[in-house]
Amino acid sequence: MIRCKKIDFRYPGESFQLSIDDFFVGKGETVALIGPSGCGKTTLMNLISGILTPAEGSVTVNGVLVNELAVAARQRFRLAKIGLVPQNFELLDYLTIRENILVPFHIGAELRFSEEMGERCEDLAERAGIAAQLDKFPRQLSQGERQRAALCRGLVTSPPLLLADEPTGNLDPDNQDKIVSLLLGEAARIGASVLMITHDPLLLPRFGRVVEVGKLRRRGGGA
Amino acid sequence: MNGSGVLYLGLRYLRRNRVKTLLLLAAFTLVWLLPAGIGLIVAKVEAQLRARAVGTPLLLGQAGSPLELVFNGLYFTKPELATLPLREVEAAAESGFAQVIPIHARQSAGTHRIVGTTLDYFDFRRLEIQDGRQLLRLGECVVGAGVAEKNELAPGDAVISTPGTLFDLAGVYPLKMTVVGVLAPTASPDDEAIFVDLKTAWIIEGLGHGHDEAEALDEDQKLAPASPGDTAVRLNASVVEYNEITPENAERFHFHGDTADYPVTAAIVIPPDDRKAALLKGRYTKAGGLQLISPAGEMDELFATVFRVQRFVLGLLLAIGLATLVIGALVFLLSHRLREEEFRHLRHLGADPATLRALVAFEAVFVLFVSLLASGAGLALIHFLAPFVIGKLLG
Repeated sequence: MIRCKKIDFRYPGESFQLSIDDFFVGKGETVALIGPSGCGKTTLMNLISGILTPAEGSVTVNGVLVNELAVAARQRFRLAKIGLVPQNFELLDYLTIRENILVPFHIGAELRFSEEMGERCEDLAERAGIAAQLDKFPRQLSQGERQRAALCRGLVTSPPLLLADEPTGNLDPDNQDKIVSLLLGEAARIGASVLMITHDPLLLPRFGRVVEVGKLRRRGGGA
Repeated sequence: MNGSGVLYLGLRYLRRNRVKTLLLLAAFTLVWLLPAGIGLIVAKVEAQLRARAVGTPLLLGQAGSPLELVFNGLYFTKPELATLPLREVEAAAESGFAQVIPIHARQSAGTHRIVGTTLDYFDFRRLEIQDGRQLLRLGECVVGAGVAEKNELAPGDAVISTPGTLFDLAGVYPLKMTVVGVLAPTASPDDEAIFVDLKTAWIIEGLGHGHDEAEALDEDQKLAPASPGDTAVRLNASVVEYNEITPENAERFHFHGDTADYPVTAAIVIPPDDRKAALLKGRYTKAGGLQLISPAGEMDELFATVFRVQRFVLGLLLAIGLATLVIGALVFLLSHRLREEEFRHLRHLGADPATLRALVAFEAVFVLFVSLLASGAGLALIHFLAPFVIGKLLG
């Protein structure tokens, strides 16, 4: 599902460098990415999703060489194949939570909105515990509720790959468990692979594999 | 690109920021509408004024403001205009240089001007009776199409003149006139006028009146002789004047003094050719107290001034418009800056570059397009309301 080979990435003007020899996630596999802050977890996730492109090496997702795609094609690929749950939610403040969850259907030609999608949105919101907040705006919700809304948006398109950047970071333990259950349960239902960044050791046993990003890095490729 | 998605997101953004959007729309609409609206109104006023002015060869009136004479003689406004005696109108007619049609436009009935004239006026303006008949007797009136429509008048109804002042000690009573005809609409000031015979206009002004025969009146309604041997019968103010002219009392209406001294406000002068027009003009350049003017020439002068003012106003509006456009551009730029985070979020989710570009442009395009539409609607409204506005301006 995901294969990163001999990738090198450096932010322009910064000394941080991420270099990975080989990283693989299989179809339907659930992987937790761990590591200290600044080790490159989010950068790796952004390289996989095509938000960033490596200076060298290859990133293959679902058989497609993502870093070789043109910008527009990479955007289209991400929209259609990857469910993204960003760390800072990335909700649009002028849309209601319902509209935010359904926004992937309005930003590209790959996905078309249907009534079925509306029902799916309500079902996901119900299971995430934010059904009552669907017609509110993001600023009216708590951090945890916004986090759950972002998760619902990542799941609504039923993508083959889910990338979640600390989706439980703003939640209490009870809600953390619910959200991870929703994420993993939904992924299992649609056969999606999951790559999730977390700092919570209690959640790790629920994943098929745990990868420490620091150990993936090539020698000499550290910050 | 997802066109419907761009529309969906763009409209939601504008809805959420409706105050900013409405302010931008109002500002841009005014930028387009004000110069175009002023141009349209001026063009319509010019067209209407010129059409009537060009159709009126010359106007004779008391010396004074030529423009006021034009407005009275053509549009029946400026009732306070100094009058000239009918004698002068007759003299102009007797010169053989032109046909002359007197106009007496001083009195009114409600908001409508009562215009005293002769039957020649109807031929000259090609006014046709749509319903009823032409003026035949004293106390009759023919109303314009607008007067008939607004007041639901038809032949057989009555119109009552409005006294100049409420407490008129001179005893000028309102006169009840019978509507005998309604004119076909002409989209001109004639539509809003009530036409009467010149003598009826003088009666309304109090220069003629009707009452019971003096011999049949009581002694206490008569004044004592001015001197011994004075046989003239003089009546006091207790004598009731007729306020309506009917076939029964029409013969008892009379004028004191010489009607040649009675006033008209203007006279339309129609020379048969340019030579006679020039000869006639020559007469009145020397004649003291009177003026003979060409309405078209006066309109040229008026609009030369109007256009100078219009150019100045348009220059100011252009400067204000440019400033508004620059401020608008700044607002769009700042808006784009403020939305950079939003666009980054959308890019992360997978919005394609074309969709993002369309979203960036949507606000500006929407404001420009809708403000142009609103300006178009405003111009249509001005076009629709122009006759009313022009009427008010001329009033």
